[in-house]
Amino acid sequence: MGNTLGPNIAIELEDLSKTYGRHGADNVKAVDALSLSVPAGQVFGFLGANGAGKTTTIKMMCGLVTPTTGRIRVNGHDVARERGAALRQIGAVLEGTRNIYWRLSAWQNLIYFGHLKGCYGSELKLRAERLLRELELWDRRNDATRTFSRGMQQKVAIACALIADPLIVLLDEPTLGLDIQASRTVKEWVAKLAREEGKTVILTTHQLDMAQDLCDHIAIMRQGRLLVNKPLAELMHVFHQEYFQIRVKGSLEECLPGKFEGLTMTVENDNILLSGAIAEQAALYEHLASIRELRLPLLSVMRVEPNLEEVFMHLIEKGVQGDHHETFALSHAQ
Amino acid sequence: MITTKLSLLAMLNEVYKRLLIIWDYKFNVLTQLVMIGLIFVGASYFMAGGRFDPSQLVSVFLGYVVWFYARIIIVSSTADLMSEAQAGTLEQMYMTPVPTELLVLGRVLATLVSTTIMVALTAVILALLLGIHIPMHWEGVVVFLLTLVGLFGFTLILSGVGLVFKQIDALADLMQNMLLFLTGSLLPVSRFPNWLETIAQTLPTTQGIIVLRNVMLHGQSLTSAWSDGSLVWLTLHSALYVCCGWLVFKWCERIAKQRGSLSQY
Repeated sequence: MGNTLGPNIAIELEDLSKTYGRHGADNVKAVDALSLSVPAGQVFGFLGANGAGKTTTIKMMCGLVTPTTGRIRVNGHDVARERGAALRQIGAVLEGTRNIYWRLSAWQNLIYFGHLKGCYGSELKLRAERLLRELELWDRRNDATRTFSRGMQQKVAIACALIADPLIVLLDEPTLGLDIQASRTVKEWVAKLAREEGKTVILTTHQLDMAQDLCDHIAIMRQGRLLVNKPLAELMHVFHQEYFQIRVKGSLEECLPGKFEGLTMTVENDNILLSGAIAEQAALYEHLASIRELRLPLLSVMRVEPNLEEVFMHLIEKGVQGDHHETFALSHAQ
Repeated sequence: MITTKLSLLAMLNEVYKRLLIIWDYKFNVLTQLVMIGLIFVGASYFMAGGRFDPSQLVSVFLGYVVWFYARIIIVSSTADLMSEAQAGTLEQMYMTPVPTELLVLGRVLATLVSTTIMVALTAVILALLLGIHIPMHWEGVVVFLLTLVGLFGFTLILSGVGLVFKQIDALADLMQNMLLFLTGSLLPVSRFPNWLETIAQTLPTTQGIIVLRNVMLHGQSLTSAWSDGSLVWLTLHSALYVCCGWLVFKWCERIAKQRGSLSQY
């Protein structure tokens, strides 16, 4: 089977659903009618709260979980029908597990996984050496990985995922449990993979600052459904249009929380900052009217650039409140 | 051609990994081998009424060696599977382009090689220490290999169940102990009550031990064993176990993928 996808699509999910459990009442719909395309050569951020369905989706891409319905194509290869060809395209580090043999050394792990993925000989050894040198593990290549720090073990796991030089790298919460320094190393590596080596990276993370720094494209899931699927710049632009920061003088007690639904209240230099997305001008004026009613001195009203975390929280909260129209409009307005 | 090379490499890779891991656990492995050896010495001593009679020990020794094989293969296969599920390396294995069937075969081969080394080492030491002389007949190797085929079928069933239910350590332990007492390793099944003998005959190594004793100790030829039906039954028995094992494993693998439980423990 040849590559039937467009040249710029690395992964395509088509009406993908996964329901766990057999009995009606115990069913859990982990992924619900998910359709999206991952552009090649980009860092694709897959975000969502715990239980949103990210890991199940990643595992379905890897052929580890069988979808209830739908289809996955990896560089044109159907994961269900052309498993071998599809998996040749992928290297993955999965969430919450070691992914490597702690009893083996870093070198032995790389050689073992290289062989499993069809690499051998001097080419494999050269690649293993390059990866270990780049990840600053070369000097400890012969030590058992159980003696490594968590960060070093994660580096080995990433190196193992990359040993066969896959075109697509799936990283499911790669910085989970890592300290700041180790997280930074992983982050630099992800950036390098995409920018210098042209790989497609699918990244799930709860560190939204990292996602904002690295990702070209963001998909946000909630309860198995896709809320948003947009290039990061476009997503931020949409919210830039409607994200406001209102600065007033006073104390938090004076700002009755119920008055400013949907806005985040913080204290900064004895002032109160009310910030959040305000989609319509009328709503902005309502908030200003409330401020006047409370007799709080207004210091400034600014349209500001939100960060991804604020956008994410806004989208998730909107969804929780049942206001699906706006969020789904975002995912469909592509 | 490439697939064959890839598959062979993957199988050898499993052997290499297993030997490396065993080497890393060398103290544990050595202790286990000593324990197994001591159990044999103790059991033989009591069974012979408080004395060592090498000529009487040969028959028990053959059965014990088969059980020893079964024990290591059952316990290590299931324990490896569980620890790999927990560590996430099982999922990494399933993410490789090599067909999982070949990887399973690779693991079987790896277990066979490592177990042979351990059993051979212990058996030779025991035989030398206790003065046990086993008459060598090449036919015994054929019978032994046929027995192993059935044993692997049995292990595939346990491994498959492990993929779905995970906590099967106790079951594996129960099974290997049952094999020690019910397959004629220590006491010939012909001395069991009829109902127990019938149950024993269904276990994976029972028929292998019977035929092995006939061939190795009584010099029975394979043709003769085939003619009297004992070898036919062993072949069918092993084939049935390996077919059932394969089907159960694939079925359980499918369930595990549907449940998303390959890495859950």
